[in-house]
Amino acid sequence: MSETTTSSSRIGQIGGLLMLVLAIAYGIGGSRIEYAFSSDPLGPRVVPVLLAIILAVLCIFHLRKPGMTEAFPNGQLLAKIIAVPLLLLASALLLEPAGFVASIFLLTLGVGWIFGAPLRLALVGAVGQAALWWFVFAYLLDVYLPVGRLFG
Amino acid sequence: MNLDYLWNGFTVALTMQNLLIGLAGCFIGTLVGALPAIGPINGIALLLPIAYTMGLPAESTMILLAAVYCGAEYGGRISSILLNVPGDAGAVMTALDGNPMARQGRAGEALMLSGLSSFVGGVLGAVGLALFAPLLAGLAIGFGPAEYFVLMVFAFATLGSMVGSQPVKTLIGCTLGLMLATVGLDATSGAYRFTFNEPELGDGIEFVVLVIGLFSVSEALLILEHQASGVTVIRNLGRMTARLDDIRKSVGATLRGSVIGFIVGVLPGTGASVSSAVSYTTEKRISDTEGTFGKGDVRGLAAPEAANNATACGAFVPMLTLGVPGSGTTAVMLGALMLYNIQPGPMLITERPEVVGGLVASLFVGNFLLLLLNLPLVNIFARVLTVPNWLLVPGILVLSIVGVYSTHASIFSILLMLAIGMIGWLLRKAGFDMAPIILGFVLGHVMEVNLRNALAISGGDVSILFQSTISIILWILAAAMALMPLVLGWKRTRAAKTVQAS
Repeated sequence: MSETTTSSSRIGQIGGLLMLVLAIAYGIGGSRIEYAFSSDPLGPRVVPVLLAIILAVLCIFHLRKPGMTEAFPNGQLLAKIIAVPLLLLASALLLEPAGFVASIFLLTLGVGWIFGAPLRLALVGAVGQAALWWFVFAYLLDVYLPVGRLFG
Repeated sequence: MNLDYLWNGFTVALTMQNLLIGLAGCFIGTLVGALPAIGPINGIALLLPIAYTMGLPAESTMILLAAVYCGAEYGGRISSILLNVPGDAGAVMTALDGNPMARQGRAGEALMLSGLSSFVGGVLGAVGLALFAPLLAGLAIGFGPAEYFVLMVFAFATLGSMVGSQPVKTLIGCTLGLMLATVGLDATSGAYRFTFNEPELGDGIEFVVLVIGLFSVSEALLILEHQASGVTVIRNLGRMTARLDDIRKSVGATLRGSVIGFIVGVLPGTGASVSSAVSYTTEKRISDTEGTFGKGDVRGLAAPEAANNATACGAFVPMLTLGVPGSGTTAVMLGALMLYNIQPGPMLITERPEVVGGLVASLFVGNFLLLLLNLPLVNIFARVLTVPNWLLVPGILVLSIVGVYSTHASIFSILLMLAIGMIGWLLRKAGFDMAPIILGFVLGHVMEVNLRNALAISGGDVSILFQSTISIILWILAAAMALMPLVLGWKRTRAAKTVQAS
């Protein structure tokens, strides 16, 4: 067995433990659900508690044999992997203040560049996509999209 | 047998609007299938919210999504053959003999022949669906809450033993889905469960948010990690007609593939990836007398292609009649019906004949459209394979944001989608499949309601779950399904030991 396999099965075990913690937390949360009245004998608590027990048992099986986990990226690739959700976060937060076109321009430019397009091509792609999707959704399909408070 | 629903369905499917919607769906589906990055579930997840906000009626949305589903099963073969990279999960087996054919300069023949077997599989699957749906609906009309609950247990047992190589991971996925379904207001008691005082979670986690998070956002991250390096597209397609000899040779394989595909499709939760693998290995066992499979044998190409298309149709049988999806993709479509406040079940075929009939009829129409799209126009789709990721992935992310925002008009939903996407990425890296989570999620609410209704009827006596003949049969089937991998594993180790001993 190589170095990566042992470390990746350890990652599988960490994941299994995290899920076990989730099962316990979910079960405790489930057993404390507050309700005044229920028209059925089970009530809202039993199913969550049952599910928590099932997940906990499955996690124990999983921990015994976590199987292979794909190696996690590092260095530049990791930075890219983190950058994509951050860009999504930024464009989600900008969507209402800056409007759909500006926020989509930022997203497509950034993600295009991360995916290896030269900056000039990424720029052209971003302008094209922002215009294309605005036209398709706002005009062709009549889907509501925010215009933005900054410009509109 | 009463097939009136089908004839009426054709009047729905053949209106100009629905024909155009079907054609658009077939085109988009083939495209989605052909692109290695995205499969039918991604395509449907992205289109569903858009169709819904455009105000399409339920039957038109279903026709659109079904066309995308079938189209993707057709399209998947294109990149399997030309790139040796499956376009979607159902086309993994197609590459085994399809790509060697392409390397021998017979890419065009392979595309034509697999297009034909896709068509046969699709049409036979649609015939099966049209015949079996009313039968199963008739059978299920006697189901009470107890039977429904046991049926879902059976569905999860099937899923655990058939999908993926690791049953524990599949079952963990189902359980996570069931847990996600408990979030929100509990209708029977008025209690808020796991909402953390967040008003946006009061109605539960929105289906669109979950599906897009799990399938689009996590997919984008995986594509980034696995940026294909050094894949070569085969550009010389050769002659663009199938040889009569080859067609004759593959008739048996196509028919067997169709039957296997349909049956696997009907089983709850097991989709095209399972059926194409089963049909390929079966065909290899039956026909591969000269060891030509894997080297460009037309039968090895025809069998899985017929199977994955028949599966797409078969998967609608339990979804439309029992409310239990037959595959991961139909699980998303079940969620789509729920968006329209339609609860599928045995009454659906009589209560909403335009939805069931229209959908079934559109599958017949769609397969003809797909044959036309996929034989003469296959060149266009082949060219799509060269679209670079730096254009494609931003496009997927834009559609994700539009999809979520247009259905809920809230930034919270987009952030939730993002969080779910990150968790989905981690889970996928650890070898978890996303489809069981979706299945658990769409079945979770119904499963809990049926369990609680059953126990309300019996006054809390659990034995109601084991009383009727149907329940007992379903329990036995579920146990058989759950034990199957254990028995197979035991047989395999015994066989291995005998080999070692000798």
